[in-house]
Amino acid sequence: MKRIITIITIFIIMLLPVGCGGSGSESDEANRAVKLTIWHDKEEGVAAALKEELDKLKPEIEVNLERKSGLTEALKLVGNDPKAAPDMYFFAHDKLGVYSEMGILTPITEFISEDELLNFLPMTISAATYRGEIYQLPIYFETLLFMYNRALMKDEQVPKTTEELYQFMQSGAGGRFGFIEQHSTAYYSAGWIHGFGGGIIDLDGTALLDNEETIRALGYRKKFVEMMPGETEYATVTVLFIEGRAASTIGGPWLVPTIRQSGVDLGFAKMPVVSETGLPIAPFSGIQGLHVLKVAADNPVKNGAIKEVLTLLLNPDIGVAMAKASGCAPAHLLSYEQDEIKNDELVMMMREMAESAVPMPNIPEMDVMWVVLDNLLVDINMRGVDVVEACFEAQKRAENLIRAMR
Amino acid sequence: MKHANQKLSSFYAWLLAIPALVLIGLIVVFPIFYTGYISLTNMNIFNWFTFRIVGFRNYFNALFLFDSGFLTALFVTVLWTVLNMIFQLVIAFTMASLLNIEKLKYRKVYKTLLMFPWAMPGYVSILLWKNGMFNSQFGLLNQWLERLGLEPVRWLANDVSAFVSSMVVNLWLALPFMIMIIDGALQSIDRSYYESALIEGASWLKRSISLTIPAIKPIIGPAVIITIFTTFKQFDVIYLLTQQVGSKTGARIHTVLTYAYENAFVTNNYGYSSAISMIIFALLLGFSLSARYLSKGENE
Repeated sequence: MKRIITIITIFIIMLLPVGCGGSGSESDEANRAVKLTIWHDKEEGVAAALKEELDKLKPEIEVNLERKSGLTEALKLVGNDPKAAPDMYFFAHDKLGVYSEMGILTPITEFISEDELLNFLPMTISAATYRGEIYQLPIYFETLLFMYNRALMKDEQVPKTTEELYQFMQSGAGGRFGFIEQHSTAYYSAGWIHGFGGGIIDLDGTALLDNEETIRALGYRKKFVEMMPGETEYATVTVLFIEGRAASTIGGPWLVPTIRQSGVDLGFAKMPVVSETGLPIAPFSGIQGLHVLKVAADNPVKNGAIKEVLTLLLNPDIGVAMAKASGCAPAHLLSYEQDEIKNDELVMMMREMAESAVPMPNIPEMDVMWVVLDNLLVDINMRGVDVVEACFEAQKRAENLIRAMR
Repeated sequence: MKHANQKLSSFYAWLLAIPALVLIGLIVVFPIFYTGYISLTNMNIFNWFTFRIVGFRNYFNALFLFDSGFLTALFVTVLWTVLNMIFQLVIAFTMASLLNIEKLKYRKVYKTLLMFPWAMPGYVSILLWKNGMFNSQFGLLNQWLERLGLEPVRWLANDVSAFVSSMVVNLWLALPFMIMIIDGALQSIDRSYYESALIEGASWLKRSISLTIPAIKPIIGPAVIITIFTTFKQFDVIYLLTQQVGSKTGARIHTVLTYAYENAFVTNNYGYSSAISMIIFALLLGFSLSARYLSKGENE
């Protein structure tokens, strides 16, 4: 027995160097490679497109994409811990103010020059900027679109102004609902507020809920809301639209695959212009891109690799690949010169929307405004509270919460 | 010698309990103390890693939260707890009694079905109720109403119907636990008591009041106290059904926790939020101690 054990042990010892030696050069390369970790929360297709591009940096740089649920909270907890934090993260721009204030982000201009960003859509760069510093390399963006069901709203019936839209809703031509949207949700209502020249919060963190334009916008929109169903959360709006019970809607590109799958003949149109102001409904936009954590930037080994990653992603091709995977629009202007983008009606409509869309505010104070604005909309649209009274009350709440924040 | 043995055995018992105590300390006690510590600091996103002790400033600020809105939320929470407990106990007792009918066929099947809501993740159940049952456009309830020629109802749009709807969902989620406990308690009662009661001609109601309830009271007591606290600090049912950001329904019902969430936790000011958590913790502690005191008095 003893002899058998001895033989097996010798055999294993003999195998060890063979096992290691067999892939010696690969292993050495892998050891030499600078390893970077990127956290993201994206669907598989988007991550795969990003990974494919980043794999071009092998063998010198090996990038590991890690899908992280609860990414924003995880970053708050470990964002300054070199052992636990990622080196970069891929996420929307609206949280970068929070992380910048926490001191866990590094401006991307430490790795690439501002001139290299000249070919990006101005909206995406302004979204990536916080207190004068650019913290995100924008890759693609999403915004809301006016969509209609051609079976219920003919191309020539598509409203150019909000009054035309209202008349269409009143006429009953579009079936049960001429138009529906998530009317009591901050993200969807912002477009109407911007269409009146109003806002939710300014760059200094001052709430704008009691300004004249905001009050006018919410008051004007009420007549549209009255012709929509009471409940208009995401699921209800989606089902009503794909079942052909609503002729038109304002929704994001994420809705498009489901709608197309349901067989709806989908059309896209420019946002109606607010009849009272002459400005189009200007929805929020979210810009997805890469951010660099300070712990990684301070690491001399990783510093050069981060620069390589960012430089690689300046390429307009990645915008195209990611746009195709996500159904969103590239942030790089040169991406739009490629045929596969030019021929994509959805992407080109979003490109057009980029001229008027307003990036979600990236200041930390915006975190409380989502809740306050949601409550304000519920008060006005669902509880019948007077618009002016509700706006002043909401302004007070917002100010209290912002004060509590600080 | 006997004394020394007792000491040794007590020491041994403590030694065996140490791993569990350490675990409880880490999971339960440490977070409470840490929250207490954070509540004394200015930890917010502007001082995330550089926070310092600021004394009781957060507690002073937190007092502003305890306005009429908070008092309404507190009242709603107490009402929510009381009503839920009454319905839970009555329904669970009835169901468990039915399950214990002699020669009941397919008893195990019924028990399995009744446990089903417990096996489902709460989040999924709540959203299924919200979209599948209460939705005014597609919900099952409104489909029934439409079949009967009635107007659809927006179940979650006003405070009263949203409160009742939330209670229904909470009961659906909580009943399996209570049924299981009462069922177990019922089975522990000696059958001979019932035989004597039957010989003396006691009705089902009489047997329940004079025999069953007193017999199961000490067994279900701890479960009832646990459920009272779970119900008191309920967050997900009311929040997900009516208050979820992006899909609010129009009702404005708040328990202390949903109120604190909307008025403090969204601020990312951890010092301030921790102070509010500590005050709510103190409230619950007071509630718990008085419940214990009352139940002790009753037992004596």
